[in-house]
Amino acid sequence: MDRLEEELKKALAREAPSDGFAERVAARAASAEKRVAVFPLPRWSMAVAATVLLGVGGGLAYREHRGEVAKEQVMQAMRITAVKLNHIQAHVREVRQ
Amino acid sequence: MRLAAILMAAAGMLGAQPLKLNLEHLASKASDSVDITLNGSTLQFAAKFLNSGDPDEAKVKKLIMGIDGITIRNFEFKKDGEWSAADAESVRTQLKGPDWSRMVGYKSESDGDAEVYIRTVNQKIAGVAILATSPREFTVVHISGTIDLDSLADLTGHFGMPKIKDGRKSSKM
Amino acid sequence: MTALGTTERVAFDFEGLVRAHQSMVFSLAYHFLHDREAAEEVAQEVFLALHRNLARIQSPEHAGFWLRKVAVQRAIDEGRRRRRRPVVALESVAEPSVKATTRDPLLGEVLRRLIATLAEGPRAVMILRYQEDLDPAEIADILEMPLGTVKSHLQRSLSLLREKLERRGLGEI
Repeated sequence: MDRLEEELKKALAREAPSDGFAERVAARAASAEKRVAVFPLPRWSMAVAATVLLGVGGGLAYREHRGEVAKEQVMQAMRITAVKLNHIQAHVREVRQ
Repeated sequence: MRLAAILMAAAGMLGAQPLKLNLEHLASKASDSVDITLNGSTLQFAAKFLNSGDPDEAKVKKLIMGIDGITIRNFEFKKDGEWSAADAESVRTQLKGPDWSRMVGYKSESDGDAEVYIRTVNQKIAGVAILATSPREFTVVHISGTIDLDSLADLTGHFGMPKIKDGRKSSKM
Repeated sequence: MTALGTTERVAFDFEGLVRAHQSMVFSLAYHFLHDREAAEEVAQEVFLALHRNLARIQSPEHAGFWLRKVAVQRAIDEGRRRRRRPVVALESVAEPSVKATTRDPLLGEVLRRLIATLAEGPRAVMILRYQEDLDPAEIADILEMPLGTVKSHLQRSLSLLREKLERRGLGEI
């Protein structure tokens, strides 16, 4: 490693965030947990819960949940596709150059 | 030639033709795996929940409108040699039908191997498949339906990835 | 804690992971964005994402890898949302009255500013290399970038930095 690289290591040394960072993160995480604790039931009982909810007009909440799950799967699928295409494009361009 | 130019834009959905992938044996050896199978109705349902105000989600929402199936099998391994040439060949066999043609393919010691296949029916693109492998990763992507291939190739530049720019190599950064 | 098989999981101590990795995550964001406030916000979001995905974490090493990957992705996203690249504000750094030496206390700030003006891809590569001391293969893994591209970014970025430092009379390094 040459002198520039040594200086880069020093310049880019890790720094701590401001005081209380970990506490702020913990607080936000706890707050987020409360918001999503709508279905504390195990997954297998979701079908039962869904039937009850539908029966009392709560179908909307369950539909929302299914939609979010489907959306996350789509986004993950697209992310993986994008990564692979990115690799391929980069390789093709390097070979051309 | 841009990848999107190689993958010609098209229209026309002629029915989903899911690949028959027998890769479950890789899951037990993988340190991480992704297994996604989405049909047309699930995709259209999911589209309702994609936020047009978010650039990534808006892009995906537009892209999936004509797609009737997405299959992803991705396996990551902690050591080399967990997948075999036969696994890759079992995928390629699915892509040797008269409708399929290989558009891009390369082998690279440093970057792994990759192949891109297109399915055309009546001169219209009805599917895209990617087989990407490296010593510790095995990925198959299959998308069927009406695919806007400009948009698909344009996914690079989203999801936090640097976009591969067209044009000459630039020495300036 | 030891690495576990795919069928075993323990509940990783989220707060412990935050304490162990907060400097790493914050610094990745800060060196990328050169903005402490934005970096803290990004770092918080990264840990909240970790909290949502805690069940996927398989080992302490995996946690580190996952956090680096997501931190860089989020920093890139935030950089694009801000839609600007920091100007190379060397003019705002006082000219040394004598030729700078390698022990110039301003040199670190100059280097950080120069890094923050690089394009996204090279910037991420340089930060992972010199902040995290990762080798090119590890960087390629995290950024899901071809190894050849990583090496190319390193080489060109170092060359560019030398050139810019030379012009500022800091060329002894």
